[in-house]
Amino acid sequence: MSIEISNVTKTFDSFQALKDINLTINTGELVALLGPSGSGKTTLLRIIAGLETPDQGNIIFDGEDNTEKSAQDRKVGFVFQHYALFKHMTVFENIAFGLKVRPSKHRPSKEAIQQKVQELLSLVKMEELAKRYPAQLSGGQRQRIALARALAVEPRVLLLDEPFGALDAKVRKDLRRWLRKLHDEYPITSVFVTHDQEEALDVADRIVILNQGKIEQIGTPEEVYDNPVNPFVYHFLGNFNLFHGRVHNGKVELGSLKLDVPEHAGTKNKEIVSFFRPHDIDISLEAGGRDDIEAEILFIRAVGPIVNLELKRLENGDYIEAEISKEVYRKLDLKEKQKVYVKPRDFKVFIPEDYVI
Amino acid sequence: MNSIGKPFRLKHKSVIPGFGITMGFSLLYLSLLVLIPISMVFLNSSSMGLKTFWEAVSTERVLASLQVSFTTSFLAASVNVFFGVLFAWVLERYSFPGRRIIDGLIDLPFALPTAVAGISLTTLYAENGWIGRLFAPLGIKISYTPLGITLALIFISFPFVVRTVQPVLQSIDLEAEEAAACLGATRFQTFYKIIVPTLLPAIITGFALAFARALGEYGSVVFISGNMPMQTEITPLLIRTKLEQYDYAGGTAIAAVMLVISFLMLLFINLTQWWASSRDKA
Repeated sequence: MSIEISNVTKTFDSFQALKDINLTINTGELVALLGPSGSGKTTLLRIIAGLETPDQGNIIFDGEDNTEKSAQDRKVGFVFQHYALFKHMTVFENIAFGLKVRPSKHRPSKEAIQQKVQELLSLVKMEELAKRYPAQLSGGQRQRIALARALAVEPRVLLLDEPFGALDAKVRKDLRRWLRKLHDEYPITSVFVTHDQEEALDVADRIVILNQGKIEQIGTPEEVYDNPVNPFVYHFLGNFNLFHGRVHNGKVELGSLKLDVPEHAGTKNKEIVSFFRPHDIDISLEAGGRDDIEAEILFIRAVGPIVNLELKRLENGDYIEAEISKEVYRKLDLKEKQKVYVKPRDFKVFIPEDYVI
Repeated sequence: MNSIGKPFRLKHKSVIPGFGITMGFSLLYLSLLVLIPISMVFLNSSSMGLKTFWEAVSTERVLASLQVSFTTSFLAASVNVFFGVLFAWVLERYSFPGRRIIDGLIDLPFALPTAVAGISLTTLYAENGWIGRLFAPLGIKISYTPLGITLALIFISFPFVVRTVQPVLQSIDLEAEEAAACLGATRFQTFYKIIVPTLLPAIITGFALAFARALGEYGSVVFISGNMPMQTEITPLLIRTKLEQYDYAGGTAIAAVMLVISFLMLLFINLTQWWASSRDKA
C-alpha cells in the first residue's frame, strides 16, 4: 500500500517539529527517515501511525484519506525502539494480542490464532520461546517478538521507530540484515526511523533526510551519498573534510589549491565551502603538480584494512582526515610527522549563503 | 549450596562495613517493638487451655463482632480499590489546577487523629446531621449502623490504594498502550488487558493494606458505630470491653484470633508481590 504525506505541519508548544512535509512512499518500498535528534523523524512516523495528529495536512493510504482515523483503525504495524512488549503476557500472548482483540465476528478461531502465532514465531526463529515472558529475553529477541506482534495483524504498512537503536552493534547488524531479507520475502510497505546513516544506507530502498522539521533530500542510498544536495546532507552521511575558499569563473581557489568546477562556471567571486570524503584522497610522497596540498601526518591508526590518517595542511593549519588502503599505506611506508602531498580526487562545492550549518 | 554450613552471609560482598551491627540493631528493634509484644498475646492466651480458648472466641457476641469487623472492612477496602484507582488515575494522567493540593489532601486521613474523624463523620451523618438529614427521609440510617462503620473505615483506609497504585501508574509504559492501539485494541480493551493487569499487584497490595488497617481501626469507629453488641460492635472494641471487665484471658484470646488473621493477610500480600516480581523481573 502506498502512503502519501501531503503538507503535514506539526507544532509542539512553541517548537515546530514538522514544516510542510510532502512525501510519497510507494507500495512495497522500504524507506528510511534519517536525521539527527530533533529533526522530526519520529514525529512524522507517529503521525503516519495515527499516534499523533498533524496540525495541518493529510495522510493518505492508497488514495484514501486516513488523517481523521485513529491508530486503532489504521491497520499499521508499529515497532517501538524500546519494544513496548506487554510485560505480563508471554511471548505467545503478546503475538496473539492483535488477533484476540478483534471484534468477535472478525476474530480468528483459537486454532487459527495458534497456527498464525506459530508461523510468526518460526519467521522470527523463536519457536521454543513461546512460553517465556519478555523479561526473560535478550534485547534482540524482544525486538524480534515486537516485530512478530506487529506482523500478526497483517498490517498494510509497517512502521519502525529506531528499531535497533537500543541494541548493541553486533546484534544491530544481524537484525538489520534480517529485516532486509524479511522485506525482500514479504514486501510490505515499510518506513523506519533512524539516526544511524550506516543503517539507512545499508537497508533502505530510499532515504529521506530530515533536518529541523524539513526534508533535505530524498533518494536512493547511492543518490544521496554521491550527490548530496547541500552541506547538511553531505556532512550527515559520512565523514568529511571541509575547506573554505572562493569560486570565480569556474575555478575554485582553496588557498594555493586551484580546482576546476564546471558546474559553477557562471559564478563570480563568491565565498564557498568545499567538501571531500576521507576516502577520496590521494596521498603521494612527492609533489605531482600545482593541485597538491602540502601536509604533515599527525596521527596514524592502522587497524583493519583501512588506515586512518590525520593530517595538517601546512599552508593554513586546516585539519584533514584521510582513509587509505593498507596496501597503499605499506607501499608509501608512512610515518607520523612525515611531510606528504595530498590531492582530493572528488569534491563538492557549495555556496554557503543558501545554507548554514 | 553451602547454606547449611554458612547460614548468615552478605548477599554480595560490599565495600560498606557494618553488617554485624546494623543487622543486630534491626533484630533488636524488631524484637522489642513487634515480636515480643505479639508473642505476649499468644503466651497469655495459651495459658487458658484450648477448651477455654475456644469457648472465649466462639461466643455469639465474638462471632457477631468478627462478622461486623470483616464485612465492613472488606466493603471499605473494596470501595477504596475502586475510588483509589480512580483517584490515582486522575492524579497521574491529567494535569489540572490544584492537582498538587488534592494529592496532598489524600494523606489527610493518615495525619488526622481518628477520633476527630469519627466525631465529625458521626455529626455529619447522624439523622439530624447535614448529610444524614438527606438520607433520613429515604429510611436510610448511616450513623450508628454498619453503614456508618463502613463509612468511617473507608475514610481511614482511603490513602492506601491511591498511594500504592500511584507510583505504578506513573512508571507504566505509555508505549505499551500505544502498541495496543496500533494492534487494533479499543480503549476499553487496552484498559482491562494492558493497564489493569499491570496495576493488579499494586491494587491487591493496596487492598490488603487498607483491609488490615480497617480491621484494626478503633478510634473513629467507636463514635459512629453506636457499639451495640451483636449489631454494631467491632472486634477491637470487644477486646477493650473484655479488658475493662478484667477478662484478660478472653481479651487476648480474641486478640490472638485477630493476629492470626492479620498474619495471613501479610502472607497474602507477600505472595502477591513475589508472584508479580517473578513475572516482571525474572
